[in-house]
Amino acid sequence: MSRDKNSQKVTLTSNEGSTIEVDRVVAERSMLIKNLIEDLGDDAIASSPIPIPNVNDPVLRKVVEWCEHHRNDAAQSADDDNDNRKKTTDIDEWDQKFMQVDQEMLFEIILAANYLDIKALLDVGCKTVANMIKGKSPEDIRKTFNITNDFTPEEEEQIRRENEWAEDR
Amino acid sequence: MPSVGLPGMPPQPVKDDIETTAVHNFCTSQKAGGFALSSHVIGSSQRGAHLLGEDLYKKLSEYLSEHLKGLVAESKAHADEALLAFYIREWQRYTDAAKYIHHLFRYLNRHWVKREIDEGKKNVYDVYTLHLVQWRDVLFTQVSSKVMDAVLKLVEKQRNGETIEHSQIKQVVDSFVSLGLDDGDSTKTTLDVYRFHFERPFLEATKVFYQNESKQFVAENSVVEYMKKAEARLNEEEERVKLYLHPDIGIPLKKACNQVLIADHSTILRDEFQVLLDNDREEDMARMYSLLSRIPDGLDPLRTKFETHVRNAGLAAVAKVASDADKLEPKRAFKDEPEFTRSLDNACREFVNRNEVCKSGSNKSPELLAKYADVLLRKSSTGAEDAELENTLVQIMTVFKYIEDKDVFQKFYSRMLARRLVHSNSSSDDAETSMISKLKEACGFEYTNKLQRMFQDMQISKDLNAGFREHVASGLSAKGLDSSYSILGTGFWPLTAPGTNFNPPEEVAADCERFSRFYKAKHEGRKLTWLWQLCKGEVKANYVKNAKMPYTFQVSIYQMAILLLFNEKDKNTYDEIASTTQLNNEALDPSLSILLKAKVLNLDPGSSSKVGPGASFSLNYDFKNKKYRVNLNVGMKSETKQEEAETNKTIEEDRKLLLQSAIVRIMKARKRMKHQQLVSETINQIRGRFVPKVSDIKKCIEILLDKEYLERLEDDDIGYLA
Repeated sequence: MSRDKNSQKVTLTSNEGSTIEVDRVVAERSMLIKNLIEDLGDDAIASSPIPIPNVNDPVLRKVVEWCEHHRNDAAQSADDDNDNRKKTTDIDEWDQKFMQVDQEMLFEIILAANYLDIKALLDVGCKTVANMIKGKSPEDIRKTFNITNDFTPEEEEQIRRENEWAEDR
Repeated sequence: MPSVGLPGMPPQPVKDDIETTAVHNFCTSQKAGGFALSSHVIGSSQRGAHLLGEDLYKKLSEYLSEHLKGLVAESKAHADEALLAFYIREWQRYTDAAKYIHHLFRYLNRHWVKREIDEGKKNVYDVYTLHLVQWRDVLFTQVSSKVMDAVLKLVEKQRNGETIEHSQIKQVVDSFVSLGLDDGDSTKTTLDVYRFHFERPFLEATKVFYQNESKQFVAENSVVEYMKKAEARLNEEEERVKLYLHPDIGIPLKKACNQVLIADHSTILRDEFQVLLDNDREEDMARMYSLLSRIPDGLDPLRTKFETHVRNAGLAAVAKVASDADKLEPKRAFKDEPEFTRSLDNACREFVNRNEVCKSGSNKSPELLAKYADVLLRKSSTGAEDAELENTLVQIMTVFKYIEDKDVFQKFYSRMLARRLVHSNSSSDDAETSMISKLKEACGFEYTNKLQRMFQDMQISKDLNAGFREHVASGLSAKGLDSSYSILGTGFWPLTAPGTNFNPPEEVAADCERFSRFYKAKHEGRKLTWLWQLCKGEVKANYVKNAKMPYTFQVSIYQMAILLLFNEKDKNTYDEIASTTQLNNEALDPSLSILLKAKVLNLDPGSSSKVGPGASFSLNYDFKNKKYRVNLNVGMKSETKQEEAETNKTIEEDRKLLLQSAIVRIMKARKRMKHQQLVSETINQIRGRFVPKVSDIKKCIEILLDKEYLERLEDDDIGYLA
């Protein structure tokens, strides 16, 4: 059975209509696809491609690349909210390199991971963003993420006062 | 809205994914303009996401509720088995669909539902659970009792012997079980719903059914028949649980059945037990055992009855002096259950050690048993067959096993064996050896060591006598007596030197002297002590006037000494006899009494009317007796009683020594031990012989401490001093 699964192929279609053929185990890193395959049965998968309408071709390829690399990781469990995973911002080397993309791509990956329900990838993406924020002033952060400051100076002063205790002196 | 209305059919892949995407996009539509990440920072947008999720959730919930209401309405058209089929079919469809929908709504589950639950909102469940909750609240409350009725009808049909399709019930059970949702924590399931809606009515129905059935059956059939029926029914119910019920019901169902089928009828069952016991109906007893063992405390009255029965049987057997208690082996019927074997043992020990005969103390039983063995092994007129004798000995051993005070038995047995050997009235050597080896088997070498040595001594003595006779015949000395001697090793025999001086009559003394010389020549350096009290002989009375044949008196050597005095003169005073024979009062008085009683001697009217100083005796020339051989060497009552008392007294002493030696043995091996441990170890070692009292053991430890065999160490420890 498991050998079967390993050799089985699944075809994914991006929103532009281009198709990518991947091993079933690779595709099943995504809970969305995994559940879908479970619901539909093996036959339906073999005969027709799975549309991924929310993800465009370059992002889907990127995601698939990540899944290929992590194909042998332990499957994510239903309730994998252990603290360890949440607290650390460490990212392994391969993932760090993987995430060296432009910001738009990074956010697209995060959105895709969220949509496809690939927890580990979502974590890596968010951690990358978190690392981009770490140690920066509000102005720097605004600059990094291209956010316009919509606070009035009074509001800003108030927020600063409220969070004074957290300032690093 | 997705295609919830058509559950049971897997949706097409393309559609499915589009729907999933739709859910995703619906939930995220508000934030579509910016990046999702930034929307988390801004409070207003977050609230927007909430509302969106809630909308979807509510719609879904409403839809389900509508669908289920429709089903409820439809269900009204069905009843009984049709209803069951309907319920099962709809349940199957519904849960299948729920699985798919759960996956479709996964995004909602992951975000909106999760957040709601994390915020502690009640009545929000993940989508699959929502399905179950809706089913339970809308449909189940309406139809569960009807479905249950149908189930119960079906089961009753089966109980009445019809075949049913039990997969239906199985499915209903599964459905009831999955509806057990824990309201406090939706990830956990409980069996509450199942217990309340299925188990309870099911047990009720079962009880009612069997109550009626058993009542009727008992009224129409015998108890034995009923037991068969009940057994079959109980097995059936067990099968039923395995076949199609939830295992959770197993225990309560068993309990219910046990209550109705057994406990409610336990009185008549137990009453029947006596009958079964009396008739040795093993198989039925086994059945009753297995039935009553199912209910709490069910066996206790049975055990009591069994115990009383065995005890009664045992007592009856004791009364008949037939120790065939081993015929009673109903333990086969009780699967050799240790409890019952214990009961049997208890009962046996009870009636063996504490019966009418031995109210005075547990010493009596071993004494009586030893006496019984003595009677069997003594030469007697009845002369039992060898095989029969052997059997009886085996039976004695059975009783022996239950004897608590085995040391008492040993005492008495060795005493009586000694008597049998000395008086050479043992019925057969083979039987004696067999008995000794049986005892050895039961209690070990040490227990029978002395008995064996006694036996050997007798064998050696036989050879010795043959040698002596040759020696006498070849010698030129005057014609001696026809005598035989036994050499008994001091220490092995429970015999003591006579408590009186004795001056043997000349005739005897000469022969004894000769034997002593003969023996000492053979075994140098050995000391011989004459056990006069055990010597006996025969004298011929040639003086009796009216006798055609001379009488022969079998007498003890004391009596012989007395009678031989009358060869010199017809009249002797008490004091004369005492001074010549050197016997003290205790030995002399009883010997004289017997001679007087048998009218061999007459008490002179002129002297004191009692045997004692001042009395004088004369030979009775008019002696008459039916037999020509008269046994005057009868054990005097007082003498045997005294002996018994003595034996009992020595037992206490011997026990002390036995305890002490056991303690020393243990300490020698262990060197150091806790006081408490030592006591219990001692009890273990000694239990084979008798049941020691803890206080006695403590006393013995004290004695050994005083004698410096042991020393007291800190911490309640006892040490061994070499």
